[in-house]
Amino acid sequence: MADRIFAAITLLIVVAYGWAAFMIIKAPFQYDPLGPESWPRILSVLAGLCCLWIIFKPDVDKIDITHNVLVRLVIMVVLLLGYAYLFEHAGFILSTTGFCIGAAYLLGAKPVHALIFGAATGIIGYVLGAKLLALNLPAGLFKSLF
Amino acid sequence: MDVILSGLGQGFAVALQPFNLFLVLAGCFFGTLIGALPGIGPINGVAILLPIAYSLGFPPESALILLAGIYYGAEYGGRISSILLNVPGDAGAVMTTLDGSPMAKRGEAGRALSLSGVASFVGGSVAIVLLTLFAPALAAFAVKFSPADYVALMVFAFTSLASLVGKNGIKTLLAAAIGLMIASIGVDANTGVMRFTLGSPELMAGIDFLVIVIGLFGMAELLHLVESYARGTLKTLPVDSTFVSWADIFAVKWVMLRSSIIGFIVGVLPGTGASVASAVSYGTEKRLAGESGKSFGTGDIRGLAAPESANNASASGAMVPMLTLGIPGSGTTAILLGALLLFNITPGPMLFQQKPDIAWGLIASMYIGNVALLVINLPLVGLFARLLTIPQQYLTPMIAVLAFIGVYSVVGDPFDLYLAVGLGVLGWVLRKLEFSLAPVILGVVLGNLFEDNLRRALSISGGDWSILLQSSNSLILYGLAILVVALPIVISRMLKARQNKAV
Repeated sequence: MADRIFAAITLLIVVAYGWAAFMIIKAPFQYDPLGPESWPRILSVLAGLCCLWIIFKPDVDKIDITHNVLVRLVIMVVLLLGYAYLFEHAGFILSTTGFCIGAAYLLGAKPVHALIFGAATGIIGYVLGAKLLALNLPAGLFKSLF
Repeated sequence: MDVILSGLGQGFAVALQPFNLFLVLAGCFFGTLIGALPGIGPINGVAILLPIAYSLGFPPESALILLAGIYYGAEYGGRISSILLNVPGDAGAVMTTLDGSPMAKRGEAGRALSLSGVASFVGGSVAIVLLTLFAPALAAFAVKFSPADYVALMVFAFTSLASLVGKNGIKTLLAAAIGLMIASIGVDANTGVMRFTLGSPELMAGIDFLVIVIGLFGMAELLHLVESYARGTLKTLPVDSTFVSWADIFAVKWVMLRSSIIGFIVGVLPGTGASVASAVSYGTEKRLAGESGKSFGTGDIRGLAAPESANNASASGAMVPMLTLGIPGSGTTAILLGALLLFNITPGPMLFQQKPDIAWGLIASMYIGNVALLVINLPLVGLFARLLTIPQQYLTPMIAVLAFIGVYSVVGDPFDLYLAVGLGVLGWVLRKLEFSLAPVILGVVLGNLFEDNLRRALSISGGDWSILLQSSNSLILYGLAILVVALPIVISRMLKARQNKAV
């Protein structure tokens, strides 16, 4: 069933992709026999056939996952999205510290340990990354300090 | 032969420069480190460290040497978590757990680790020598390939992928198609037409290769670790003081040699990497051992040496098509190929002539790296094993931090951070549904090359599709493609028939 749902969703995307390839994409003028639309057309047909095959002959029946695991995964994804949002807005040090505290706590670290780990990763990470390796990391709120 | 010797000389001159030598060693060390971490295989390790290596601003040959060092190191390190934790770092290490983990359980972890280290070294060395001999010849031959031949080569690559990788060929094919579709997003280089950008300026240049790699491998790996944590913690076996004896090494010398050659050949086949190589060599050795093969799976040293030699040999074998044809032999070499493209270097038959520093420097660094790995691994195995005791709750967030540093420092756009997280979820779902991820990344890397060659071939013929079947090179490749699909089916039928007879 899980297979079928995934294949059906993918098929919808492939149909949208194919629709764009067959109906919309067009070069205003071209000299070559194959335009920008030909390759996507071939791909959409191939991918569509694969999806149909999986819908008719699925082999993974059920994703083996418990409620508890799923909740943790969703929290992790939310943490990651929050990290992505804050990365530039709050800067590397604050966002990394926050994310590491949250993630370590989620995975069972003691609050105090999570706090130390988060702060250490944020600060040491910034010094190593931005100062030592000269990588492009957002300084954010601590701009004036460094 | 002269070409090879002078090439090697030039290569060693590059690889032995103090800075590059340092990078080989650093790459090997960090590679082993990251490979030894539970659950993180070579492909994830290279994926996570690639953007950082790229943004350090090294010259291309140095960055590539560093990445290749990480790649080999991770192949070496992967065995540590297979043996001590019974958790394979990636599909290629599954076979190592079969005999490695029972040995560790009976108190021979040290012997298992050191023997597998030697087996890895033999596999790596045999394959590098073969690579040195064959790569230039293949490159010289491939220079004459026409666009139509390249199309045939791609068809061969994707069919061997679908036939040999993963349990379900159709799923592998769909995974490759998804990769090819991702590659088609962005401005079409020939006509300047927008494709599938949905009007978003962020997608005009396409989805950055690094973001895809980090998302599909790094982020998906992170979610996988969260999942395995939530299911219960992993247990580590201690390393003891047992060590491999010369008698052990002599007992498996032919096993290692045969497995190295099998591993190299499988590695050269486009698309199939360490997982197929180790499975094939393990099966072969088990069958060759006959009656005594019954002890395979219970901690037989032959069953440990075979897959370890094979997967390291395939790691070098996979470099052959990548360097000479521009078609990666495995998921990890697909990432290395992407790294070359980032440096504006297009691997292919001309690489040996136009950028000999890079091609030969890389090969020479493989010789050095292989020796360095043996030297690092035998005495330091206890240190690496201690890494396995790093608690998951600190290791897992570190992966995300490294991934974000990598994406941001190269692309510098927060939009790509979201994209990486989204791709991570997609990668996790694909893994859950038993799709393999390597075909996706191969599709992404080869998408433009495939399309360009098809369009070029048809431009030459003026739109006549029969050009694809005209040259003898392409006909041979299509023949091989059919063979790759048909052989496994025929062989499994034959085995079944024989089994029925025996019963």
